[in-house]
Amino acid sequence: MKKTIILVLVLGFLFAGIGFGQVQKPSELKYPPLTYNPPDPAAYRMTFANGLRGYIQEDHSLPLFNISAHINFGGLYLPKDKQGLDALMSGTMIQGGTKTKEGPAIQERLDFLGGSLSFNVAERTATLSLSVLSKDLDEGLGMFFDVLMNPEFREGPLNLVRVRVLQQLRQANDQPGTVLSREYEKLLYGDHPLTWQPTKATYDAITSADLKAVHATYFFPRNIILSAAGDFAKADLKAKIDKYVGAWKNKDLAFPSIPKAFPSPEPGVYFIQMPINQGYINIGHLGPEDTNPDYFAVQVMNFILGGGSFSSRITSKVRSNEGLSYNQGSRFAYRWGFPGQFSGYVQTKSSTVGYAISLIVDEFNRIRKDPVTDAELVTAINYYLESFANAFESPQGTMSSFANLEMTGKKMDYYKTYRDKIKAVTKAKVQEVANKYIHPDKAVIMIVGDWDPSNKGGDKWPGPLDKLGKLHKITLKDPLTGEIAK
Amino acid sequence: MKRKLVLLFTLFAFASLLAAADLKLDVKEHVLSNGMKILMIPRPGVPRVVCHIYFKVGSINEREGITGIAHIHEHMMFKGTHVVGVSDFAKDTEIDKKIDAVMDKIYHEKFWKADGGDKAKIAGWQKEFEELTKAEKAYIVKDELDNLYANNGGTGVNASTGGENTGYYVTMPSNKVELQMFVESDRLMNAYFREFYSEKDVIMEERRLSENRPGFFFSEQVNAAFYSASGYHWDTIGWMDDIQKITKADLIEFHNKYYVPNNAVAIYVGDFDPQALAAMAEKYFGRIPRGPDIEPLRTAEPPQYGEKRLYGESSAPTSLSMMFHTPQAGQPDAAPLQVLASILGGGGGGMRGGLGPDGGEIGQRGGGFGGGAGTGRLNKILVQEKQLAVNVSASSRAQWFVGAFQFGATPRLDKNVQPEDLEKEIWVEIDKVKKDGVTPDEIQKAKNRFEAQFIRSLSSSTGLAGSVGRAELHRGWRSLITDLDDLKKVTNDDIKRVAAKYFVKDNSLTAINRRGSGR
Repeated sequence: MKKTIILVLVLGFLFAGIGFGQVQKPSELKYPPLTYNPPDPAAYRMTFANGLRGYIQEDHSLPLFNISAHINFGGLYLPKDKQGLDALMSGTMIQGGTKTKEGPAIQERLDFLGGSLSFNVAERTATLSLSVLSKDLDEGLGMFFDVLMNPEFREGPLNLVRVRVLQQLRQANDQPGTVLSREYEKLLYGDHPLTWQPTKATYDAITSADLKAVHATYFFPRNIILSAAGDFAKADLKAKIDKYVGAWKNKDLAFPSIPKAFPSPEPGVYFIQMPINQGYINIGHLGPEDTNPDYFAVQVMNFILGGGSFSSRITSKVRSNEGLSYNQGSRFAYRWGFPGQFSGYVQTKSSTVGYAISLIVDEFNRIRKDPVTDAELVTAINYYLESFANAFESPQGTMSSFANLEMTGKKMDYYKTYRDKIKAVTKAKVQEVANKYIHPDKAVIMIVGDWDPSNKGGDKWPGPLDKLGKLHKITLKDPLTGEIAK
Repeated sequence: MKRKLVLLFTLFAFASLLAAADLKLDVKEHVLSNGMKILMIPRPGVPRVVCHIYFKVGSINEREGITGIAHIHEHMMFKGTHVVGVSDFAKDTEIDKKIDAVMDKIYHEKFWKADGGDKAKIAGWQKEFEELTKAEKAYIVKDELDNLYANNGGTGVNASTGGENTGYYVTMPSNKVELQMFVESDRLMNAYFREFYSEKDVIMEERRLSENRPGFFFSEQVNAAFYSASGYHWDTIGWMDDIQKITKADLIEFHNKYYVPNNAVAIYVGDFDPQALAAMAEKYFGRIPRGPDIEPLRTAEPPQYGEKRLYGESSAPTSLSMMFHTPQAGQPDAAPLQVLASILGGGGGGMRGGLGPDGGEIGQRGGGFGGGAGTGRLNKILVQEKQLAVNVSASSRAQWFVGAFQFGATPRLDKNVQPEDLEKEIWVEIDKVKKDGVTPDEIQKAKNRFEAQFIRSLSSSTGLAGSVGRAELHRGWRSLITDLDDLKKVTNDDIKRVAAKYFVKDNSLTAINRRGSGR
């Protein structure tokens, strides 16, 4: 015990620049110890009137006030004929005004104060966020709750937003990256609320009354968690918030039941034609949920495979060794309550499409077949352990993370136990999860690119592409109609 | 993603101190005897330190034939040194020199001969190259620099190149900043550019990614037409021909000229003791000898004497872009132009600003302040009231040696509005400003927004490191504060004056892109 203390002191002096020697190699560097305890969500959790919950942190370092409302509502809950309501709601929640104020007047006032208010609907969470100087806390908070509780979705602003989203819809097939991720999801999840797309017809049919109905269904205190940080006193803020939500009634809400059955797409090559000079490629299948106890081992395994940038095998092989691409790797993407996606990805010039794919598939097979090296495991684990404090750099970001943990029903000791769970991952476990969650034989290979040069290949990997599996050509739908373009 | 091109940064984040002057920006300075500056902003709390190094070099320092080299060089700085990335330096060098020799032969044959050279000869050398490359692998410790950082909790390991400067980034645990000092001083002194040829392939893929963005080629041409002579004429990524033909010798010459401590600023923001950090910097960066002084840029942008117009077709949405030459940062007219951009284009909570129509960045090297929607004057008139545009923006970017004021708009094609119609409408609004200026409320709103944005910028360690570090390279970090003072003083007369002076056709380029068959 004593020895440790002395060592710490000595290193402390070294660190302070008193006689530390010049090392020749980075491996000779010695570092003073560092302990860090993550913040405890319980210390920040508050309950307000009518069961509204929140994670609130005083932060007096700057005269700022940030608050977000996280609402358990998202595009996933919309029926097929209301696709696009989420985008229209994102655009009109503020701009459409409230019972007592026009949207542009709210915007004008906030802009004059140098503040900002934004609203966005994602898959299963909607978020309203305010940022103002703390001197404007009262006025800002008033506008925040007015928008949250009383939006009017007026027709005029709604029609302007419609013009904007239709413009975006027209461009939906322009960007190869966007096309790839959309079509890949459609293939993996099939015809499912997770993959339904809006069309001009659904956008045109959505009315102000539809938006109000959705608001009335999902927006009430018990279905919302707040996160806030800034220059205020907690008790004062609570009193102010309670005043706004005291009269806000809760509702009975039955969330739509969403099927959790998904098709098994036929393995093979799925090609989408676009006249570009690279192939944009995803290779994979559905993946685990992030509530799976294997989550931590999967993180470590994927860091080694293709998630750890230049410390990962795919980047090292495909980019650093072969110079085939700028952007490549593998990822496990997660979604709340549903299987996530596993994919290896790369964008490479047409003539090396087949070669890059073959290298990535080789890496899928290798991490299943052979144990990773000690050095790889140590780097992956160290990365997660040593960079852990990064997650808590911003007080508002930390409060939002806590709100999201609670919203998605995860354990509130997630951060407290995180490092122990990462530390517990072994080489055997890495290989086990690689075999459990990576299945090259079931993978689909989706390519957005130019068919002839991609299929022809190059010296290192001559085509045709169906050497990689049965070929399927996908014809894109006209995004405006949702029908195959003529 | 790593090692990306960054579009030019404006110092806007700071161009807004104003009433916030009482919120002090406390930067501690330490200058090494070799001329390198160490800036420190201690912020106790989470035990992390944002560590950035900036060099005063970017694509504007290039010339034809080596466009893109600043960015290629930035990539190559990750390929190791005499001690990092290599197991036996002597043996590695021996092979690496042979690789360069054989590639020189290939380049001479392929690029110097009009017919592309003797294919059989090239194939033979190519085989030789591949064998040597394979042999060199025995001595290369793959991506060791990245692994060192990853192993020690370094996050955000990255670098970026812009027109005017290049930055190298990592965020370290507070107890491991010494590793950053070791690695960065080592690669400044002892960089060794192995794996050069495959890395150029990576960069060509990076350029292709941009090329596959709708409207990129037209945008590149607009930029080249707007800046006719200075180093702002080409995009930071460089022309594909140059990326292909740049040699190892070009790279070494570039490195030796610009990567000297007297051309660098290191900045640290986070939880650390400044005294200990300064001592550490002495130890590591202090050991590097000072380099020769660097001649300032020769070619300025010549004045434009007549209107320029450019029409293009691409897969990007039909849009209008109007650009005007304006003064560089720090000149008296920069502040009123900035306020005017905020009034015309700014506002709209959460809307991102600065990009051209639909983020298409027509003719713009990126960044810039302005805004797409919301409460800006143009949005109110053209999008909300007259309903002629899907969106409209205005931005003013005073860069180190040039400036540009840009309008962008996307017409309501569903109402048969054409880009030319929007051009006329924007000129009507410009003429109104020339004649009557703007309202006191509009000016105050712009100033309030700058102030709030400044305070917000103080809350991000990474943002702070970027703004302060980059500013130091050119006019000193205190210019952030003086620029803000200048904004505070802007009057309606200033705005009328700059509008009359710069918004004239002979000083403009108007670009119209139509969605069509071009790429």
